[in-house]
Amino acid sequence: MAATLRDVTTYDLKLAAPLAAGFVLFFVTPLVILLALSFQTDPQGGHYGLTQYVNFLGDSFSLGVLGSTLWLGVKVTVLTLLLGYPVAWLHQRSPGWARGLIMLLVLLPLLTSVVVRTFAWVVILGRQGIVNATLSWIGLIDTPLKLLYTEGGVVVALAQVQMPLMVLPIITALSRIDPNFADASSVLGAGHWRTFRKVILPLSLPGIVAGCLLTYAAAITAFITQSLIGGGQMLFMPMYIYQQASTLQNWPFAAAISIVFLVSVLVVVSIFNALGRLSRGYANA
Amino acid sequence: MLLTRRNLMQTALTLGAMHAFPGLTWAQARPLVFATFTGSWEEAHKAVLVPAFRKAAGNANIVLDPMLSVDQIAKVNAAKSNPPIDVMLHDPGPALQAIAQDLVEPYPVEQSAYYKDLIPAAQVPMGPAPFFQVVGITYNPETVKTPPTSWADLWKPEFKGRVGITNLNSTLGTGFMVELAKMHGGSEANIDPAFKALEALRPSLAAVAANPGQLATLFQQGQIDISPGNFNAIQILKARGVPVEFVIPKEGAIAFKTTIHIVKNSPNKELAFKLIEAALSPEVQATLMEEPYLIVPTNTKVAIKGELAKTLAKDHAEIAKKFVFQDWGKINEQRAAWIERFNREIRV
Repeated sequence: MAATLRDVTTYDLKLAAPLAAGFVLFFVTPLVILLALSFQTDPQGGHYGLTQYVNFLGDSFSLGVLGSTLWLGVKVTVLTLLLGYPVAWLHQRSPGWARGLIMLLVLLPLLTSVVVRTFAWVVILGRQGIVNATLSWIGLIDTPLKLLYTEGGVVVALAQVQMPLMVLPIITALSRIDPNFADASSVLGAGHWRTFRKVILPLSLPGIVAGCLLTYAAAITAFITQSLIGGGQMLFMPMYIYQQASTLQNWPFAAAISIVFLVSVLVVVSIFNALGRLSRGYANA
Repeated sequence: MLLTRRNLMQTALTLGAMHAFPGLTWAQARPLVFATFTGSWEEAHKAVLVPAFRKAAGNANIVLDPMLSVDQIAKVNAAKSNPPIDVMLHDPGPALQAIAQDLVEPYPVEQSAYYKDLIPAAQVPMGPAPFFQVVGITYNPETVKTPPTSWADLWKPEFKGRVGITNLNSTLGTGFMVELAKMHGGSEANIDPAFKALEALRPSLAAVAANPGQLATLFQQGQIDISPGNFNAIQILKARGVPVEFVIPKEGAIAFKTTIHIVKNSPNKELAFKLIEAALSPEVQATLMEEPYLIVPTNTKVAIKGELAKTLAKDHAEIAKKFVFQDWGKINEQRAAWIERFNREIRV
């Protein structure tokens, strides 16, 4: 019998065709149009060149906006990681019923719209908001602190809004770690802290990297939270693009900024990815 | 007929496609699409203008698609030959852009029953103004004991850290800057004095909102006590019990005419005309002038009454006197540069 056995380890790529077609039609095509638009020298069209890119890259103000946006993402990601990791850890160490509760609390914010969550932060950070009211009740401050419309406010609000994106991948990574490893580590004489640092943390690195990547991408592009909590005195890339495209109808410049932003984000993402590959090697070693 | 799997699939796909692309089945008429503004404007238009239009147009179908002026322009621009909107509503800046980009039809003035009754400032051949927006000073009467009387009051030392403004993305923010320039010897063509005045206002600023809607939130949260504000936006806050008052400063109120336009290449020009006629009619304007809408009418046949007469002006002659209309043709020429400069100078 020379019947060829079907190879079950490879899949027919045709199954992915509808998704691929949708991707080309609704993502790649607009991106190509965007790229073409960014080479127009003026909004009326006609001439093509690098004018828009020269305008952006040769302008310290525009570069400052780009830099502060990327830096904002770093701050938010670090804060989210510091706050999110313990939550994931707690989830891992809790009995069954508490796990369900923690998971519900982590997922709950995803069930409300970002606009609602952000407005809640306006109420919390306002002059008569919860933070200021509590501080003045305790007697720590006389006049309300300015919390809303500051960068600190934006970072805190974004960290809360994006928290599930960090916690969920870390929970997944932690749940894959064999509990025997921690036991083995303590049998061999390591304390809790050393076990965490040398065993748990390295093994959960893939989850951390995935979480950071998601949080970072979401934080720097969060138009709503950035503008509602940051106000008109803070300019980040999403607002800059909106302003140029919508208010000023300067589509070529808006397109060029978008491309520059996209490329910068891709660079950051590839750095994260490289870290991720390193960490996988580390975890499997 | 035997129902094969293939047959079933084809039917399902066709039905699905018809659902996803309704244009396939609508060879004939689509409903009239009116892009009004969001929030209170949408509410007012849904409650008053739409019923009046449907009565005049034999129950024709109409869809409200509320969005900002600039977004209306972007949408129509993206599909000029088959625009998804039939009637646009614009602030003065975007209106001129839409006209310059050849997106709107001239209004059939000779056929109109009401055009000639509009006050002169509202008679725009490319799209008449069915109402005005009025910007004056908004303040919190619980913390501001003596009502402000002039724009200059925003610089008073007692308002240090209590003043709110918006950035120049909005008509309100830009109009306020032009007014500042005029107070200090500048004009639509010379904005320099406004930026100098703004620099002096910096210590007083509690917030630079990213859009005028945010100013309302800031009043509600007690974040600011005084700001330039839109009369209609304030009425909504007042109705919700927030302590805010509106005054016209002695320099006059900044007024914007909001114009309504038939979109070029619209398949529904007849209906669009009927909708605009309804918006200009004294009946609709008189109803919109009452509580809770308080929208300033442009038809001289509408006698000004109630809250409007009390806070704004008692008749159209006083409107002409108290309202300052700005030259948006001039403003548009340099607006991009102003926004750029504002971005740079106000950034923290």
